[in-house]
Amino acid sequence: MTVAELAASAGTGEFGHLDEQSKREIRNALLTAVAVPGYQVPFASREMPVARGWGSGGLQVTLAVIGPQDTIKVIDQGDDAGVNAANLRRLIVASTGVSDTTDARAASIIQTRHRVPEDPLGPGQILVLQVPVPEPLRGVERDMRELRRMHAEADYSRIWVSLYEDLVRNGVITQSTGYPVLVGGRYVMATTPIPRWDVPRLHQAGFLSLFGAGREKRVFAVPPHTSVEPLAFEDVPFQVERTEGASCLLCGAVEAYLVEVPARHGWICSDADWCWRRREAADG
Amino acid sequence: MGYAAARGGLDAILAAEELMRAKRDGGASPPLEIGQLTERLNLAVDRVMGEAGLWAPDLAARALRQAEGDIIEAAHLLRAYRSTRPRLAAGLVTHADEIEILRRIVPAYRVPPGPQLLGRTLDYVGRLLDDGTPSGPARRPATVGGNGQASHAHRLAAADTDDHGHGQGGHPGHPSAGSTDGQSGDPARRSPGRLLDLLRGQGMIRDRRRDDDPEPHDVTREPVRPGVPRSARLSVMARAETGALVNLWYRNVLGPDGYIHEITLGEVRHGRLPVRVTHPVTGQPVRLGSVRVTEVEAIEDLDGPDEDRGVFDVGYGLCLGHNERKAIAMANLDIAVERDGGQGALEQSVLMTTDGLDASGFLEHLKLPHYVTFRSMVDRKAAIRAAAERPAPDQPAAQHQAAAVSQ
Amino acid sequence: MAEPAPGWALRVTGLSKQFGRVTGCQDVGFEVAPGEALGIIGESGSGKTTVLRCIAGDVEPEAGTALLRRGPDVVNLFALDGPERRALRVSTIAIVYQDPAQGLNLRISAGGNIAEPLIAAGWRNFGRIRARARELLARVDVPLDRMDDLVGTFSGGMRQRVQLAKAVANNPALLLLDEPTTGLDAAIAAGVLDLIRDLLEETRVTALVVSHDMTVISMLSSRAVVLRGGRMVEAGLTDQLLEDPQDAYSQQLVAAARGTL
Repeated sequence: MTVAELAASAGTGEFGHLDEQSKREIRNALLTAVAVPGYQVPFASREMPVARGWGSGGLQVTLAVIGPQDTIKVIDQGDDAGVNAANLRRLIVASTGVSDTTDARAASIIQTRHRVPEDPLGPGQILVLQVPVPEPLRGVERDMRELRRMHAEADYSRIWVSLYEDLVRNGVITQSTGYPVLVGGRYVMATTPIPRWDVPRLHQAGFLSLFGAGREKRVFAVPPHTSVEPLAFEDVPFQVERTEGASCLLCGAVEAYLVEVPARHGWICSDADWCWRRREAADG
Repeated sequence: MGYAAARGGLDAILAAEELMRAKRDGGASPPLEIGQLTERLNLAVDRVMGEAGLWAPDLAARALRQAEGDIIEAAHLLRAYRSTRPRLAAGLVTHADEIEILRRIVPAYRVPPGPQLLGRTLDYVGRLLDDGTPSGPARRPATVGGNGQASHAHRLAAADTDDHGHGQGGHPGHPSAGSTDGQSGDPARRSPGRLLDLLRGQGMIRDRRRDDDPEPHDVTREPVRPGVPRSARLSVMARAETGALVNLWYRNVLGPDGYIHEITLGEVRHGRLPVRVTHPVTGQPVRLGSVRVTEVEAIEDLDGPDEDRGVFDVGYGLCLGHNERKAIAMANLDIAVERDGGQGALEQSVLMTTDGLDASGFLEHLKLPHYVTFRSMVDRKAAIRAAAERPAPDQPAAQHQAAAVSQ
Repeated sequence: MAEPAPGWALRVTGLSKQFGRVTGCQDVGFEVAPGEALGIIGESGSGKTTVLRCIAGDVEPEAGTALLRRGPDVVNLFALDGPERRALRVSTIAIVYQDPAQGLNLRISAGGNIAEPLIAAGWRNFGRIRARARELLARVDVPLDRMDDLVGTFSGGMRQRVQLAKAVANNPALLLLDEPTTGLDAAIAAGVLDLIRDLLEETRVTALVVSHDMTVISMLSSRAVVLRGGRMVEAGLTDQLLEDPQDAYSQQLVAAARGTL
């Protein structure tokens, strides 16, 4: 027997870059995550061809759950064309041979950075979100042992107090993205940095959301039909991003997440494919 | 593929890769060979292996070449490669005493047990930029501090004298290999004896040895957090970025919020350790080869109010390749964390903030598009300014904004 | 356990705590009736603060029981684990520390400090939290225009008032006061002392008052125990203790205090 024969019998990552053992470990962590919605499950995060902080966690989650029959969509800021999305997509496709699409309705797995697609997703679809910092209590506590205790005992009063102080000082809650939410009535979770616009769309959703933080080596999940409630005082309603009078220069949409284009004195949809399809439908 | 622009990102990436390739492999100079890196820039190769946590000199050299000299990038290449390799066997325990010494110094004692061997080091080489003439293997430097000094001292390791009066041989009272206790040649190179054994024999060391044989914490299989055993801490530091450890140590010694002091070094060693595994067929231990490591033992004086000041304690550092500043920083931080006992933030700093790939990856991710999050921040600025203009007595402005409510 | 005698809200028996070779307290026991304030007198090092810290849950004793009556239930404080203890500290037991910086977060507002126990008890209405915080601050005579100021900008006396407001926010069953006016200027201390006395009378909360200061003990408590070197040397009605102390050490304390009373 040679070392080469030993290695061959152990199996290499022919499908999906990672070897079967690694994928199995990640899936085990994901199962725990789905069983305990919103809880950050530690996992043995591998170094990937993309750098830490650039989607190594989301990539591992996608590669662990993807099968030959899946169709992948990858977006960054809602855009399939961005360089980071393009890079991740080609890595996934090259190592799995799966077909890819930009149409969210046709994708079985959508890996995303910072957005939930505008199309309503349903059963059988998995949203894989890239997470830079998974800890929602990071602003009120730095010590990891204390953080663990706070989550374990559901002792979340300090983050509520920080919201109180925020309101008192600024008149509004100033948290922009990554708004803390209560999942399944138990764990407070960070909504990665998706905008507040997207937070209500996680609530009682028909699809499964998986969150991967490669650098911090945590995964967490929101199973379908789970409550996801932004931490908000009863008498201070949760506010989403909105600019009076703004609409998409390309497709005219108002009820979508828009980003500003100063050079054109206007706004466009962040979800590029959704916007393009609206234009196609209007033209045709 | 959907809309036409969707291909744009991929085109840009491919163009960027081509530019990289052209610059790296182009130009008038000959292509870089692996041997040039492993032989001429061996310290860089060692550092890459140390920060990747993988002993593979040729692969590390390839990575360093591919990364155009960027150590962190090269370490990333190596670690990502390691991620895809199957694990065929686990190493059997190697005792650090099995080291085959290339260099060993004991700052704590003038005449320690076992020989001191200055070995190959740049420590005493004068920082004088040389004239650029390449040195051959047998060149004798004309001036003190020439860069032939180190290899010269090494060749004289077995002899007592040194023409220059520098290095370990020439000064009276300065031990060199073979002078102090009659040992010379190979037997002294292996297991040169430890200062720690001497101190232990005198009852001066806090004894941390244990009877059980706990499984070391595998940091590549189980993420660390504060409270992990010492083996995890040492593993994390062994793979940490050199600069991160050095600066964390420096900050804790001299910084406004640091409280540790510098330590006397007991052992600084550079040498080879054998690697053995259980043969999959015969079931017998078999030696695969050796790895080169740097090992440091630091002697801590113990000055805390709750500590037994009648003894010393020990900090330990071990990393792949020849990287003394890293191993020394490791040993200092190891004992500092041990003494801190989870009181302060040092353990968390060491465990969570010293990895080069994590830190630089996260830092550089700021270059990724962030316009969705930025738009959200702009929205909040507008809301705050609107709230400030409104004379709301004791209610937050939000209660007056019916229009901005979601669903 | 045997059916406890009715008429007490807190019953401590055999409380002992060692700190290495130093005795914190040894075999301390007493009862406190519902709505009563019990004084614990002693000099520094007498163990009085150790006793308080054990009951508060900040320190774990080696031996003893501390039975607290909560409605129909009786719970042994020392038999609870960390999370259970912390849960009690939300709504059942409150402590006012000698140094207000220990019981407050100096980096948040006065209102925010009071909001914390309310939120921990489940309050989620911003308007109502504000209203209750205002009510409590008014009760402790903190000017309302300072409600949103950081407590770090408050004087010692004001901080202590905020700490009191925070402590009674959830109407605790047991209030612990550790040298509540020590460290304050005499004039300020007098005002805070009056406030505490009024609060105790008004809320009828069961309380333990630890102090080396006879004035404080006589103003706030109806009964008291005297500690020395971690042990109880005398116990009885506060007035009687001050009029006619039996134990030699108690006599010394009273005599020394008389010089200042």
